[in-house]
Amino acid sequence: MTRPGSTLRISAAGLRGIVGHGLTATHVLDFAAAFATFLEAPGRVVIGRDPRVSSVMMREGVTGALLAAGHEVIDLGIVPTPVIQHAIRRLDAAGGVSIGASHNPAEWNALKFFTRGGSYLSSAQSEELLDIYHLRKFRFARHDGTGRRAEDAGAIDAYLDTLAAEFPMEKLRRFRVLVDCTNGTSGLILRRMIERFGLDLILINEALEGRAFVHEPSTTKKMAELQLAPLVRTVGADAGFLFDIDSDRVAFATEQGEAASEELVQVVIADEMLERGCGRLVLTNVCSTALLEEVAGKHGGKVVRLAVGRQAVIDALAGYRMEQVAVAGEGTGAVMMPQFPYVYDGIAAMLRMLERMERRGGRLSELIADYPPYTILKGKIPVRTRFIPELFDELEQRWPEARRNRQDGLRLDWEDRWVHVRVSQTEPVIRVICEQRDGAPRRLFDEVMDLVRSYSG
Amino acid sequence: MSRAHQLKISVAGVRGVVGEFLTPNLACAFAQAFGTYVGPGPVVVARDTRASGEMLVHAVSCGLLASGCEVIRIGIAPTPTAQIYVADIRAAGGIAVTASHNPAEYNALKLFNGEGLFFNQYERAELLDVYHQSEFRHALNEEMRRVVIDAETAPERHFARILRHVDVERIRRRRFRVALDGVNGAGSVMSVRFLRDVLGCELHAIHVDPEKPFPRDPEPRAEVLTELSELVVRVRADAGFAQDPDGDRLAVAGETGRVLDNDDVLALAVDCALRKKKGPVVVNLTTSSAIDDIAVRHGCPVHRAPVGEANVVERMRRVQAVIGGEGGNGGIIFPAVHYCRDSYLGMALLLERLAETGETLNALAAGLPRYWRRSGKLPFEHGRVGQMMQALEAALPGARADRTDGLKLMVDEGWVHVRASNTEPLVRVSAEAKTREEADRLYELAVSLR
Repeated sequence: MTRPGSTLRISAAGLRGIVGHGLTATHVLDFAAAFATFLEAPGRVVIGRDPRVSSVMMREGVTGALLAAGHEVIDLGIVPTPVIQHAIRRLDAAGGVSIGASHNPAEWNALKFFTRGGSYLSSAQSEELLDIYHLRKFRFARHDGTGRRAEDAGAIDAYLDTLAAEFPMEKLRRFRVLVDCTNGTSGLILRRMIERFGLDLILINEALEGRAFVHEPSTTKKMAELQLAPLVRTVGADAGFLFDIDSDRVAFATEQGEAASEELVQVVIADEMLERGCGRLVLTNVCSTALLEEVAGKHGGKVVRLAVGRQAVIDALAGYRMEQVAVAGEGTGAVMMPQFPYVYDGIAAMLRMLERMERRGGRLSELIADYPPYTILKGKIPVRTRFIPELFDELEQRWPEARRNRQDGLRLDWEDRWVHVRVSQTEPVIRVICEQRDGAPRRLFDEVMDLVRSYSG
Repeated sequence: MSRAHQLKISVAGVRGVVGEFLTPNLACAFAQAFGTYVGPGPVVVARDTRASGEMLVHAVSCGLLASGCEVIRIGIAPTPTAQIYVADIRAAGGIAVTASHNPAEYNALKLFNGEGLFFNQYERAELLDVYHQSEFRHALNEEMRRVVIDAETAPERHFARILRHVDVERIRRRRFRVALDGVNGAGSVMSVRFLRDVLGCELHAIHVDPEKPFPRDPEPRAEVLTELSELVVRVRADAGFAQDPDGDRLAVAGETGRVLDNDDVLALAVDCALRKKKGPVVVNLTTSSAIDDIAVRHGCPVHRAPVGEANVVERMRRVQAVIGGEGGNGGIIFPAVHYCRDSYLGMALLLERLAETGETLNALAAGLPRYWRRSGKLPFEHGRVGQMMQALEAALPGARADRTDGLKLMVDEGWVHVRASNTEPLVRVSAEAKTREEADRLYELAVSLR
């Protein structure tokens, strides 16, 4: 195994790294103790994990720290992250912890934190948590005030009750759906949905795996093309979906065996919700497809562009009433809906797409064929951090006629195309995203990549 | 309480007041040091009934898993039971989360090697170095092992070993009436099963609810066992037994409710053991000379080790002892079962002897050599022990001196021993003599010296 330099990342998003090589038990204990202090004991805290072997180690540490602070720990076992957030609401808990590294490879792991109502932490809350972590002034209970641990095996069914209240399960039974669970937590939910609602789901890679996943757990179009699309036609399915490990993201393929762009998850759901008049606003990041503006325009809706990352979406959502928002998300296949109080929920996203198929009565390929063709190209290049400001300046000077947006890195816009260059939050690289209506923006993309590359190494 | 002793990280492990001092973070790091030292391999984790035990078990599991060890959790179990389990399954090591007889606000990690024994002093120093240098093994995801829960088999393994060495049918036939004070400790459930179901006693048990706090000072001394004494009298029991929270120490009450001196209990156990098999005896420096007299009756030698179970066990292994223990604190070590202080073995040996002889406990105790003992404790101050040692030696010229653990001075009439406690900020003073006056004189002499 290759061992890159430092993999540990402690940020507003929580704690993430390669276990044993950057991310250690000490980090887990300290961070969990900081969160336990942040929540102000004694309270009830819901925890759950993904199937990684290292998640058991992390669960033990998180449990120890929460109990020591006097919290009651409700352990859901192996569950998707949206189920943890659902259980926090259902049990009126003070918060929760999701243990798992989502779309990262098996050797990674992470802690994600939630507050009352199952919400992600706001930026201000995250900063407070980080301050406590850095100060290492943790509050622990006296010996007779330490907490107790309990299990709750009913979390998945309670979550399914909520899904059943929102989606017409009876009607969705007519679709045959192929799902690649990537050895992650979605299999638990989907298997139970087959039992309870009689949905016609064909599950592959359903077995939970702790040491290695059958393929990289990413929800990109490339992965869907490679792993999912070829099988959809073979089994004669009406649609195919692919989940990451903790089921917050989803990718899909049509009945024709064609993988769709990950950007389209958000588009299809925005289309559905705006058409039904559920809110007017689409919150998305600065480098999601421009197709969103077209779809929003069709229904008289409006797109709000934000900096990249879940945190920007969470912070922005705090400023809107729930009924104003149709959908919020990112081009990665991570979508939140107000009906599921702003939780990235891949399962709900899948059901919403099936619901749209059912309502419109068409095939999935036809549904997305309605959209004007946009082509998106994505690339990444490592650069020397020191020269990043100069890089952005040079990009601006190179295309003075373009509209500029420096909300997060630099986005340059023309009538039919745009390019976005920014610094990754998770890797030491520059990401380039370029999109054009009617045909691939190959020349623009190559020119930008060449320019960025001149700053590398 | 002294500032320095609310947390103690030493060659004996980690011990401290839960909350501000003994944190899950510290327990996790220490467990990872331990896992690094013994692993990778299975490590057994047990705990006593302290409420803080649950959180510490999770923190300890985290550190062990992070070091690449497999964690075998046997739930609430007495320390000797955990030690025997470690040896039985040939684990890489074991950790018992228990502060033994210390008050409820304390907790601690007791550490065992793959044979279920305390580490020797050099190993303990090495382990402490690993902890201090934070040179931990960090397992990657693919190298990590699982948590296995076995809450069932530990008591059976322990009972099976004891039953190989006592005549259980003989005990069962007598249907002894026995009183038990379990201090709501780790033995609560297991002791009831042992005495009632295995040894066939008519059992009258109090404080055997592992969910409840300790009802008394957890160290089983006569002054705190009045409830047991009354119970023995009320039900007319043949014997009364009291355990500490982790089931390694045993106190015994005779049929009149009188709690026997711990040194006498050990002396009875030594007599029982030497009747089964002749061989060397090892006790600590503070243990009564009655042991020497008993051993002489059987023609067996007695060796003396510094105070502390690990020290006694180390010496027992070296001289191939057949029995050993620590008089003052009610610890009986019978290596044929395991090299650990074991209240269960103690109960079985004594009941077997009662069955064999048809005598009462008080009658058996009356047959022991008679000594008078005084012991007490003074608050620890830096330099105090040294001054007391110097003054004591000057005050008793001509006495034979043993300096292996503090100072023990032996005179014709008896002996006096001054030492610093390993676990608490105390100076312990003990004296013993053939007459009460002489024992008092030696004791008063020691505590009067400043």
